[in-house]
Amino acid sequence: MTLKKTTRTRFTRYLSKNFRDDYTTLQIYSRDMSDLPKVVKLFVGNLPDGVIQVRNTEDMQKIYEIANETRVPITQRGGGTAGFGGCVPYKKGVVVDTKGLESHFLVDPLELTVTTSPSIVFSDLQRQLNLEGFSLCSYPSSFHSATVGGWIAHGGYGIGSIQYGGANEQITALEVVLPNGERKRYTEFDDISLFVGSHGTLGTITEVVLKIKFDIPLKHQGCTFDSPSEMLKGLEQLSKINPFSIWFLNPDHVTSFNEVFGYNLPKSYVAIVSKEVSFEEEEKEFKNLFNNAIRASGGQILDRRYIKDIWDFRFKGFSLLGECTDYLVTEVILPVETSEKFFRKIISKFKGELHLEGEMISPTHYSLLIYLLFEEKLSEIKKTILNLKLYKITTKKSRAKGFPYSTGLWFSGYYSSIYGKEQYKRYQEFKRKVDPKNISNPGKVISPRIKFFPLVRLKAIVKIASRLII
Amino acid sequence: MSSSTDWHVDLLEIAQKCVYCGYCSLCPTFKELKWETYQPRGILEQIRMYFSEGIKEDEKVEVSKTLFEAIFACTMCKACENICLVDLPLLKVWEQVRQEAFKKGRWSPLLLSLYNKVKTTQNIYGLPAEERLAWAGLAGLNMSKRTKKKASIAYFVGCQASYSGKMGNVAPSVVKILRKTRVNFTILGLDEWCCGSPIFLAGGYSVGKTFAKHNHDKLKELGVKRIVTACSGCYRAFKIGYPRVLGDKWDIEVLHITELADELIKKGKLKLKHAIKEKITFKDPCELVRHCGLVEAPREVIKQIPNVRFEELPSNKHDALCCGGGGLLKLNDSDLVSQVNSHLISEIEYSEAEIVANGCPTCKDTILAGVKKNGLNVEVLDISELIVRAMEGEQ
Ligand SMILES: Cc1cc2nc3c(=O)[nH]c(=O)nc-3n(C[C@H](O)[C@H](O)[C@H](O)COP(=O)(O)OP(=O)(O)OC[C@H]3O[C@@H](n4cnc5c(N)ncnc54)[C@H](O)[C@@H]3O)c2cc1C
Ligand code: SF4
Ligand code: SF4
Repeated sequence: MTLKKTTRTRFTRYLSKNFRDDYTTLQIYSRDMSDLPKVVKLFVGNLPDGVIQVRNTEDMQKIYEIANETRVPITQRGGGTAGFGGCVPYKKGVVVDTKGLESHFLVDPLELTVTTSPSIVFSDLQRQLNLEGFSLCSYPSSFHSATVGGWIAHGGYGIGSIQYGGANEQITALEVVLPNGERKRYTEFDDISLFVGSHGTLGTITEVVLKIKFDIPLKHQGCTFDSPSEMLKGLEQLSKINPFSIWFLNPDHVTSFNEVFGYNLPKSYVAIVSKEVSFEEEEKEFKNLFNNAIRASGGQILDRRYIKDIWDFRFKGFSLLGECTDYLVTEVILPVETSEKFFRKIISKFKGELHLEGEMISPTHYSLLIYLLFEEKLSEIKKTILNLKLYKITTKKSRAKGFPYSTGLWFSGYYSSIYGKEQYKRYQEFKRKVDPKNISNPGKVISPRIKFFPLVRLKAIVKIASRLII
Repeated sequence: MSSSTDWHVDLLEIAQKCVYCGYCSLCPTFKELKWETYQPRGILEQIRMYFSEGIKEDEKVEVSKTLFEAIFACTMCKACENICLVDLPLLKVWEQVRQEAFKKGRWSPLLLSLYNKVKTTQNIYGLPAEERLAWAGLAGLNMSKRTKKKASIAYFVGCQASYSGKMGNVAPSVVKILRKTRVNFTILGLDEWCCGSPIFLAGGYSVGKTFAKHNHDKLKELGVKRIVTACSGCYRAFKIGYPRVLGDKWDIEVLHITELADELIKKGKLKLKHAIKEKITFKDPCELVRHCGLVEAPREVIKQIPNVRFEELPSNKHDALCCGGGGLLKLNDSDLVSQVNSHLISEIEYSEAEIVANGCPTCKDTILAGVKKNGLNVEVLDISELIVRAMEGEQ
């Protein structure tokens, strides 16, 4: 779709300089962290017709009004750091960049909440909170670039999720402009949860109230395991000691860390466990509990010298990508209990190229970031094939009972695998009610129909391709 | 010996290495302007488009418009390079793109005028060389015996301390410190040329070399082995620009006034005897801390002030906020400078400091403007002025 002149005029008249449609701006807003393969671009209208800097709720209401009247799709964009294509247009239209939203920051020290704009980047929010003695409860490792709104809309987890939960559990209230232009405030968990992981398809988040905590210092312990099975056993034991975070790496990833940062870590499965500790006795207790958990699972305790350095690299995992010529990344959520076979299988499938980084997101599940690193430049074909392989790994129903991290564009059609059938039903009902014309981020969550072949949905095509190609 | 290739990088190759993590969203000017065309990763994306083989001429013209606009909205604070997950040499990239803009005749008239002024008058104000020593006369100092005298240490005054009334106290303060501690020093006087910093920041390393060579030769004629400056722009030019353009020939040790003061304190030559009752904070200039890694010397010096009440700004050392005044942004967009500056001013206010010290005339000027605009009751001092106050007491 290319904007009609009258539609463009309506946007520019209302938004003036906050609407842009010059060649370069459109190109820049046509991708997120992972650029679409060329072949996919043939079927996807990822190049927008215009980009808007939304300033406030009134702007957002007006944008939806014009979008509804002219049937122009809108796609919200926060930091553009997710790799699932959520903020990439599927049917062209207008990208709404939320970074222009008025910023605000209000701490309620009694309720332990902060009211803020969804456009705030986590590190900025954390800095402001820390100055007042508070801290975020859970935050993604894209701490320096992800916006709060993007994280919620993509249904994120992160550091601290094992103790405090994911995005869903962090929110006490959301203000949203619905696609029908209504401005609503939600405070009930069931209502809020509809907006978590729905990628802006149900509306645009314009204000967030997040839970916060006192800024309690963290203490870290480290351990190593010789095999995936030992490690999974260890994760199970360690989850019981009420940690703030459990983060782990596979041996190849550890080797790269050693090479890049000059460490000398043992080449095995390494896990770093962090816990909030306020006083000395608590620290002692943490140490004891940790040692017992490691003993029970057959792991070894890591030399303390390494631990602080590794913790500092929590936000720098992606720096390894700079060391290779080409790479692919995907993420999946797995239960500790049933994933041993999955673990072994991918290790044997991608020997040498496979780097794994996991974070416990609840006492029973972990998120696994899967990197494939290559020393040579991949051809478009090879890249597409490998992407499909990763897709299959992430989506195929197996005894591991894993599911994709988020839907976005890539994994549209998998909402019920992630959130359950009941929730999907509620989602669909709500979507029909508030966005009958499907103008709010179409192509995401519900798998879209394919350009040129409108009878087929994207999910079916990619699924078949991923099975056939293997 | 350095060759022109030493400071040239393959722009396309670097742009292709960006992993799009977005960490460079901390860019102070992007935070204000919001459009991703101003975000470092967005600038790299534009470089990728601009230099891609397949791009059509009309598309290239379109890209160049936003690319060159973005590249001059940069304060060269180096925050992006510091945080970049894959260690891209972003500053070299920005400098080189500024040169590409020059080649294409796309510099703003104000920038061109500054460039020509520096080239023809060897100072950033376009004022006569004879006025370079006016600061001494105004401060009642007789510098004739020091000027062009043979000595192993030279004080490089710099254009701002030499010509700007607002910086009138900086050079006299440095001279007081050097005299009090009996350092045998020289100044180049009318032979001093601009260090070339604005030219380096505009990516003009070939022209910058003329300046480097001139200053180098004059310093060598006097037998100078160490050079001290109170300007972070000059410091960066000597530390980074000169070795790039002069190679091994540039063997003069470069010191910021805080480094020399720290050394003199440790040797017992400089004594800070007078307490300063006001609460002090220090704003790390980007060019000192992120470009050149100078962190401790200013703090070591401030710590020596009797009964000092020192408070770090919330963002300090390598994470220090940019004042907004660097990278020639003042010429290109003064409103943007004050927008960027407002965040630093909030931090100064938060610290409840009564004196904000710094080591850079550009920072001082920008902070002064911000403090005035916001009606803060804060004194803005160059660190050399602070040292003199602690050395001599308030006069
Ligand atoms: C180095 C790195 C580490 C990462 N680590 C993690 C991690 O630990 N945990 C994790 O969950 N993810 C992680 N990610 C993925 C990504 O950063 C996060 O998902 C992030 O939260 C996305 O935020 P964003 O602002 O970039 O959103 P975007 O990518 O811009 O958007 C994500 C989705 O949200 C929608 N959206 C954005 N703003 C709004 C709004 N205001 N209202 C409605 N919808 C909106 C978009 O349309 C899109 O569908 C990581 C990414 C990187 C590069
Ligand atoms: S140097 Fe500073 S202003 Fe320039 S792009 Fe980098 S972060 Fe932005
Ligand atoms: S921080 Fe570096 S790698 Fe990351 S987006 Fe910015 S320029 Fe690219």
